[in-house]
Amino acid sequence: MKRVPFTRLFSLAARQLLRDARAGELRVLFFALLVAVAASSAIGYFSARLNDAMLLRASEFLAADLRLSGSSPASQQQIDAGLKLGLDHAQAVEFSSVVAAQEGIQLASVKAANSLYPLRGELRSAAEPYAPEEVGSGPRPGEVWAEARLMVALNLKIGDELEIGAKTLRLSRVLTYDPDTAGDFYSLTPRVLMHLDDLAATEVVQPGSRVRFRELWRGDANALAAYRQAVEAGLEPNQRLDDARDGNRQVGGALGRAERYLNLASLAAVLLAGVAVALSAARFAARRFDASALLRCLGLSRRETLALFGLQLALLGLIACLIGALLGWAGQHVLFHLLRGLIPDDLPPADLWPALAGMATGLVALAGFALPPLAALGRVPPLRVLRRDMLPVPASSWLVYGAALIALGLIMWRLSLDLRLTLALLGGGLLAALLLGGLLLLGLQSLRRLLQRAALPWRLGLGQLLRHPLAAAGQALAFGLILLAMALIALLRGELLDTWQDQLPEDAPNHFALNVLPAERDAFAARLAELSPHPAPLYPVVPGRLIMINGEPVRQLVTKESRGERAIQRDLSLTWAEALPSDNLLTAGNWWGAAHASELPGVSVESELAESLQLKLGDRLRFNVGGIEREAQVTSLRQVDWDSFQPNFYMIFEPQTLQDLPATYLTSFYLPPGQDAELVALSRAFPSVTLLQVDALLAQLRSILAQVTLAIEYVLLFVLAAGITVLLAGLQATLDERIRQGALLRALGAERKLLISARRAEFGLLGAAAGLLAALGCELVSFLLYRYAFDMSWQPHPWLLLLPLTGALLIGLAGVLGTRRALNASPLSVLREG
Amino acid sequence: MTSSILAARNLSKVVSSAEGELTILHDLDLELSKGDSLAIVGASGSGKSTLLGLLAGLDLPSGGAVLLAGKNLSELDEDQRARLRAEHVGFVFQSFQLLDSLNALENVMLPLELEGHADARQRARTLLERVGLGQRLTHYPRQLSGGEQQRVAIARAFAAEPDVLFADEPTGNLDSHTGERISDLLFQLNQERGTTLVLVTHDERLAHRCQRLIRLEAGHLIDRVEP
Repeated sequence: MKRVPFTRLFSLAARQLLRDARAGELRVLFFALLVAVAASSAIGYFSARLNDAMLLRASEFLAADLRLSGSSPASQQQIDAGLKLGLDHAQAVEFSSVVAAQEGIQLASVKAANSLYPLRGELRSAAEPYAPEEVGSGPRPGEVWAEARLMVALNLKIGDELEIGAKTLRLSRVLTYDPDTAGDFYSLTPRVLMHLDDLAATEVVQPGSRVRFRELWRGDANALAAYRQAVEAGLEPNQRLDDARDGNRQVGGALGRAERYLNLASLAAVLLAGVAVALSAARFAARRFDASALLRCLGLSRRETLALFGLQLALLGLIACLIGALLGWAGQHVLFHLLRGLIPDDLPPADLWPALAGMATGLVALAGFALPPLAALGRVPPLRVLRRDMLPVPASSWLVYGAALIALGLIMWRLSLDLRLTLALLGGGLLAALLLGGLLLLGLQSLRRLLQRAALPWRLGLGQLLRHPLAAAGQALAFGLILLAMALIALLRGELLDTWQDQLPEDAPNHFALNVLPAERDAFAARLAELSPHPAPLYPVVPGRLIMINGEPVRQLVTKESRGERAIQRDLSLTWAEALPSDNLLTAGNWWGAAHASELPGVSVESELAESLQLKLGDRLRFNVGGIEREAQVTSLRQVDWDSFQPNFYMIFEPQTLQDLPATYLTSFYLPPGQDAELVALSRAFPSVTLLQVDALLAQLRSILAQVTLAIEYVLLFVLAAGITVLLAGLQATLDERIRQGALLRALGAERKLLISARRAEFGLLGAAAGLLAALGCELVSFLLYRYAFDMSWQPHPWLLLLPLTGALLIGLAGVLGTRRALNASPLSVLREG
Repeated sequence: MTSSILAARNLSKVVSSAEGELTILHDLDLELSKGDSLAIVGASGSGKSTLLGLLAGLDLPSGGAVLLAGKNLSELDEDQRARLRAEHVGFVFQSFQLLDSLNALENVMLPLELEGHADARQRARTLLERVGLGQRLTHYPRQLSGGEQQRVAIARAFAAEPDVLFADEPTGNLDSHTGERISDLLFQLNQERGTTLVLVTHDERLAHRCQRLIRLEAGHLIDRVEP
């Protein structure tokens, strides 16, 4: 017996698709897929490009997209590799040197840069100390710029001469902002900028002197990645590569959270669309039971019948995905047009990747949500042609929900790239759905009793729900998921923004004071108290290097390029404190007071560093402090909020354990704008104290957060729009049954008004139930998310209790609007179909 | 062996229900040759449709055997039975069973397309003209009257040139005048093409146009009319 060849099935499927499309059969499914793909690729594009924009901002902290730095000059090979890839290149050399003027000498941090510096961000300077800043290129050969505090210390004015090593340069402007050192507010010495061409003449850079050579690169992402790949393997031990992500902790944290949020938002959009795809695929399948039975009568085998519908669906999916991706691509252009001015114009256009990812997401959703109902088509008994009541054997629930869960899991995993979070969300969601679904079924059962005494519209409306309680519970769950996704995204938006606002309040410290001598400490604190409403405490700082862990040299214990490796390469700021700093959080062990067995002094270690160095409680650490070695035992681990602009420390010692060592003090404080004169006065009163302004850094961080905020608001709009359209699409899925019922009721003489009231009652109740489910689910999921994805503290959200009301209104309205056709259907035409 | 195209031997069907096992068809024998026409009549629930389903291989008997084109249906799996249907069997249903999303022409083309006929469109057009619907080719089922829909269904049934045509209450949903014209059409085509016709009906007039007739009551054969 012959089989139907695949090519014939395929062309049949294609023709069938065209015919179905012409007959308007596929609108709902097509639309649901379109929304899924368009939303997820628009968000994908948007977040990819926004991420680029934010990275660009973050690149300013490097003055480049990628930076190769080392204590020896880069090899010609390393430089040629970048030039060959067409990258823009600038060079800078940094070193500490004593600079001399007529009034004296001062240790300064000198940067010699060529004319192309900086490649990202801008260089700002002023004509006079504390005069308005101007943007421009750096000093010409023969000139030097210095920070105001150096000028104060050496009593310099513009036009004076400054000696750096063997070279005398003319001070031409006041350096106010050089992007790549602005972020490093632990650098103690005042900064000086000169031209690279003068460097050789200073004779400062000799073999063995402590110098950082920096090769700065700028270019498109592909070329940068190629460069990274080309040089990474051959890096000397003293060299490293940094990009914007490594560049700055504060920005890194904000970017990370924004990225997770955007991913979550597109997950919500996909979830919404998945629900719609599931609903409309079920309708697609149900409407083809007859066709399937007929095809079997006409001689198609089970497999062929399935293949025919499967191919049809796959073709539909592919077309919807293509158009959806195109729409998503167009949509993000509109968005960027709306946001022009806020986002740099020189962003490279996004590549194909978000569109492909959006399409893949759509297809995976289609497979996961539509295949199970489709599989039912293969099981339609051919006898159905004689007996219409014969339905396919229902699929095993494992297959149905398993496929959907796997699809959802895959998508979630792709978006969040975090297995634990994905599992937590999936597991939590599943548990919530089971529990809430069970509750809902019980609730519906008990409604039955109440129903007997209700008015006719209620009896009609609720009768509809009660006739198929399982289907009704499923619908409520689906609508609940939609509301949940929308509420969750709205809720997260609000709280993320609040968290960022809290993180950077208006009066966040904008100045750091370093090198406060012990003798000046009280006087300085008193003076600060007059200037600033709430300065941070003064922390003692003892520079020390970690040399041994549990008696083993630390160099042998750390991996290259880890944070631990960076920490042991330089002196750490060691401090001691009675109380745990207010924004630190103890994650293991006890703060002082609880006795620890050893004789050794206790030390509290920052948790990420501890992880990188694989430290645990009880480990013994040996430090070298200016030639004196000290040992301490780890008694606690702390989580540190590096975004806070408060003084933060990797190592905090027990009081009385470092007091005998030479220490200086450090603090941060807020000075309202326009108080530059006070700052100059403070600087003159305490000449040894180094004052650092971090206004520029703060402003930069704020502008990044503003962009993130904006992005989040737009993405929220996307999700809301997707949710509402999908809601309507979902309602369409139940239209057939309603049209039939509506026509029957009208044939029996029911007025339109009665039908509308009944529908309102039905959808109102469905919406309220869905809202209740969404409120409960939202609390559960937000709890998991805050805990595991965003590191934020969770509190209950009483406003979620409004969701049942919102759900009743929204779904009631959408239900009445979405099923209008059922009201307008002529009883005659519908009954004839029966 | 005889030259019969369709035969039933000791055919019975038992279904299980809440009250226990229920025999809905008792030991039934029949044999049809090419070109025969058979009417199966009886009250609702007498087992007519059950018998039709078994004869067409849409369902399997609990006892006995159905031989269609010389093959014992019980020995074939569902897909093999589907192939056999594709080669030998056509259907006309009481509820027409046209696909809503296809127009008249496409509905008739469907079995031809499944067979891979290159001239599906032309053959479907000819058949629709034959049943008097040459002007309604692009109309969708919902735009056609019941009689017109049944004519499309008949054109579809004859499109694949089946050896046996099963008709389940073909006039059941039609008024008597339209029903008359539909049955005329069925018998004309039956004669033109030498198709064996098996029809289930309530309609005694239609039944008596067949050469042979069996009457069922509660699953038992109670009357048999042979030519």
